[in-house]
Amino acid sequence: MSTEKDSEQQEAPAAEKKQVPAKLDEQLPKFEKDLADKVVAKFGEKTEVAFVKPDRIRINVKKDNIKEVAEFIRDDLGFDHAESVSGVDYPEDKEIEVVYHLGSYTDPQLSKQILTLATRAPREDDPKPGNDSTHLPSLREIFYSVEFHERECFEMLGVYFDGHPDNRRLLLPEDWADLPPLRKDFSIKGR
Amino acid sequence: MTTQLPPGLSLEKVDEKIMTLNVGPQHPGSGHMRLIIQVDGDYIVACDPDPGYVHRGEEKMAEYRNYILNIPHLERPIIHDSCNILYPYCLAVEEILGLEVPERAKYMRVIASELNRCVYIQYWLGIYGIFLGHSTMFMWPMGDRELLIDLLEKMTGARVTHSYFIPGGVRNDLPANFEDVCLRQVNYFEKRIKEYADIFYDNPILIHRTEKTGILSREDAIRLGTTGSVLRASGVDFDVRKKEPYDVYEELDVHSNVLKEGDSLARSKIPWLDMLESCNIIRQALEKMPKSGSIRKKLKPNPRGGDMSVYKRVESGRGSLGCYIVSKNKPEPYRLKLSVPSFRNLIALPYLLKGEKLGNMPAVYWSLNYWPVEADR
Amino acid sequence: MSVIAPKFRFSEFLKSITDNLFWIIILVTLIGLPVIMIVLLFVDLPVYQGELINPFLAFSWMFHPELSLPLIKSFMITDFFRIAVFPGFGFAVLLATSVIFIERKMLAKLQLRVGPFYCGKIEGILQLMADGIKLVTKEIIIPAKADKPIFILSPLMFVGAAAAFVALIPVAPGWVVADIDLGLIAVFAVIGFFPIITVLASWSANSKYPFIGGIRALFQMVSFEIPLILSLLGVVILTGTLNLSEIVASQASFPWIIFLPVGAIVFFIAMLAELERIPFDLPEAESEIVAGWLTEFSGMMYGLVQLGSYIKLYAFAALFVVIFLGGWNGPMIFPPLEEELILEGKTIGPITIQTPGLPIFSMEFFSGVFWFILKTAAVIFFILLPRGVFPRVRIDLLLDLGWFKLIGLTFLNIFIALALLYAGVFGPGGML
Repeated sequence: MSTEKDSEQQEAPAAEKKQVPAKLDEQLPKFEKDLADKVVAKFGEKTEVAFVKPDRIRINVKKDNIKEVAEFIRDDLGFDHAESVSGVDYPEDKEIEVVYHLGSYTDPQLSKQILTLATRAPREDDPKPGNDSTHLPSLREIFYSVEFHERECFEMLGVYFDGHPDNRRLLLPEDWADLPPLRKDFSIKGR
Repeated sequence: MTTQLPPGLSLEKVDEKIMTLNVGPQHPGSGHMRLIIQVDGDYIVACDPDPGYVHRGEEKMAEYRNYILNIPHLERPIIHDSCNILYPYCLAVEEILGLEVPERAKYMRVIASELNRCVYIQYWLGIYGIFLGHSTMFMWPMGDRELLIDLLEKMTGARVTHSYFIPGGVRNDLPANFEDVCLRQVNYFEKRIKEYADIFYDNPILIHRTEKTGILSREDAIRLGTTGSVLRASGVDFDVRKKEPYDVYEELDVHSNVLKEGDSLARSKIPWLDMLESCNIIRQALEKMPKSGSIRKKLKPNPRGGDMSVYKRVESGRGSLGCYIVSKNKPEPYRLKLSVPSFRNLIALPYLLKGEKLGNMPAVYWSLNYWPVEADR
Repeated sequence: MSVIAPKFRFSEFLKSITDNLFWIIILVTLIGLPVIMIVLLFVDLPVYQGELINPFLAFSWMFHPELSLPLIKSFMITDFFRIAVFPGFGFAVLLATSVIFIERKMLAKLQLRVGPFYCGKIEGILQLMADGIKLVTKEIIIPAKADKPIFILSPLMFVGAAAAFVALIPVAPGWVVADIDLGLIAVFAVIGFFPIITVLASWSANSKYPFIGGIRALFQMVSFEIPLILSLLGVVILTGTLNLSEIVASQASFPWIIFLPVGAIVFFIAMLAELERIPFDLPEAESEIVAGWLTEFSGMMYGLVQLGSYIKLYAFAALFVVIFLGGWNGPMIFPPLEEELILEGKTIGPITIQTPGLPIFSMEFFSGVFWFILKTAAVIFFILLPRGVFPRVRIDLLLDLGWFKLIGLTFLNIFIALALLYAGVFGPGGML
């Protein structure tokens, strides 16, 4: 609950990066901090712990490293499935963020925890889904459960997942020819 | 093959032995979705679920409405379980806005969400009955469901789309004498659903049809990231109410039902056992609920969230339902993602149907506790 | 003060009555009477009291109550009456429609709801008529790539086969359309038509779901015909005849179900499968294959298939009654009519009946029909009951049941029959 006040005071955009408290002091919950420290100890500069809250950890990773970080999280930390994969569009940063929420069924200690693994892909103003630079490595081989979520993310935001066996449309109609609808520049009529 | 097809479209190779069946969306056994099933004789070779027939873009709509205006439309994906789909949204918005919920409202939320869980499961069970050709099992749950719908109508003012949970509490107070009526009806309801075992769950034909069909092992259930009744039927004891108690579930004695078999019979039994458990929880909540007090925190008009992202989850009638909100100092959420259990369980369907008989298709499909409208959002 | 008809005028009321009367008289004289006359010219009229009745005589007798009685009686023994009205099609359709209504009401009571309720003042009794009108007025849609002649003919063939089945059932002593010596073989021959009609209908529709449903129906009907036929063999061994009327007559003192309960049970289960009733309604399994082989039928074509299947249901129930439950045999519950009423007429209180031969039916006939209908209704009740209790079986259980369990049980049944025969209980010189 302590981070809430911090966040309300700050007003800068994309604060999640800046919000990283340099003072990872004792206020933070111990168990979660230990988990985050393990990731930092292994990967160091490659990862960035965005926040540590009770039961919630968020780690930002570059897209080149996401596979090894995910593998480490599965094998050494014990998170075994993905709860959701959400894409967030940031047109001002020219980036699309893909957020994996990872949980654990097998480890009773981790059952309360949700580890948020976020990565960013470059964004193009004139998207051609599948044929432009908006690519990310797929985590399907590591977390099988992301399969349908990544398909949804592909059609809704135009992020192509390399290595995904089945990059097809899921929810949208087969003849959808407009922008990916969850991008910010796709606007609803009358709003 | 010179023309490049757009992604999402593919040409089908015709095989003379294999027949492709489009089960749905206009099919009595599919719900609002399409299952592309390939059968070789009576055996299913491949199944490709194609949801999206009732996709309504709830997540896009939420980006244009403020935190209060989002309430009525966010419960549309599953109107039978509308309290539970609003629950994670309200929890997340409360964390974003820094609201504290009064004690009495927390108990009222528990009662409403457990009643709603029973209402949903009754509907689901009725459809499971008619999918297996058991018309009595369709009519009985539909009739008994009315009891709880009446209770919820007394409580919230609406029969199905309650819009009862709001950030900071619940919308209106209980009517006078609600506790006694609720206790009486829930007791009767519990007695009634125990009778379902006689006609449905102990029926030898039903056991023959569902036992050892569509077996999902414990490892696969974890690997596929299934949730709720599907997961617990495969022997994984994971109930968000117990593992990550939200609101007042910590103070209540919640027992999560686990079966080891992982077949369709176990998957269809778990929700039924959950209903019995819900009756227990409602009785406990009615006993422990403060008899008077505030029911909601007063909100500022058009409240603005901080600059943060929140993920909250609750146990709905189908499994863990998560809500991820990215807030950016605006009255509207910057991005809202509903991680719905139906969508998470859908991934198990092609996996389970491969190699099954065509006659097992409805039994396996609906035992996944799947609601197509919710998966589409 | 409520006003029923605000613009009511007595003179206009009278005028409407006289108008209607006028039109009725005009239409009857100009159309109705000539039509009756023309029909009479083409009908074979019976010989009555030693003279051949000509159409003009019959026409004048028709409006004379004393003389029209022998005419009705003579009409009742014609083949046309037997085929179209009493033991044949009309009777079967009446029973079949009442079965539909009773099924809906009974299932509703079983499922804690009311069923048809509003149409018609009493318990929704006119609902069936409303449904029939709806079916008749609906558009008939034929798939573009269907084999049209066969597709259109198949519902008619289905009803025709069901009606042919009904023709073989003896309802009361002497009341049967076709009383043939090989009646049971004829029944099996008619039953053998149904899978062919089903496959024709499903194949000609040229659609996937009807095709799967038709194949399923073929599997099911063929695999259950064998136990169906074998289960009746026990009765044939004991009675030594294939004539259905004689089989009924052989059960004057006891029904065969007492000695051959295994055969009766096997026959009942095979009957459910042949009728595609609920535990075995795989060919119409709606959650798997939409409506099976009925998917492409619409409007009255669907109505005809439904009618045919309910006539078939009645015919099977009646066959069960005839073979195992003793048909029309039962205690006389109606006292026989007095002699003088039949011969001379009688004065009962204020009513004077002086027409000799007024009772068209004898009381033995009434008693027989009463017992037959009562037993048939009981069997139909047990055919309908599983629909509220059981889910649908899967095809592997179905075939396993048909090919192994039921055929095994029928052989047991035949051994029981043979044991009874050789032990000297039945047969020539037997104890019973």
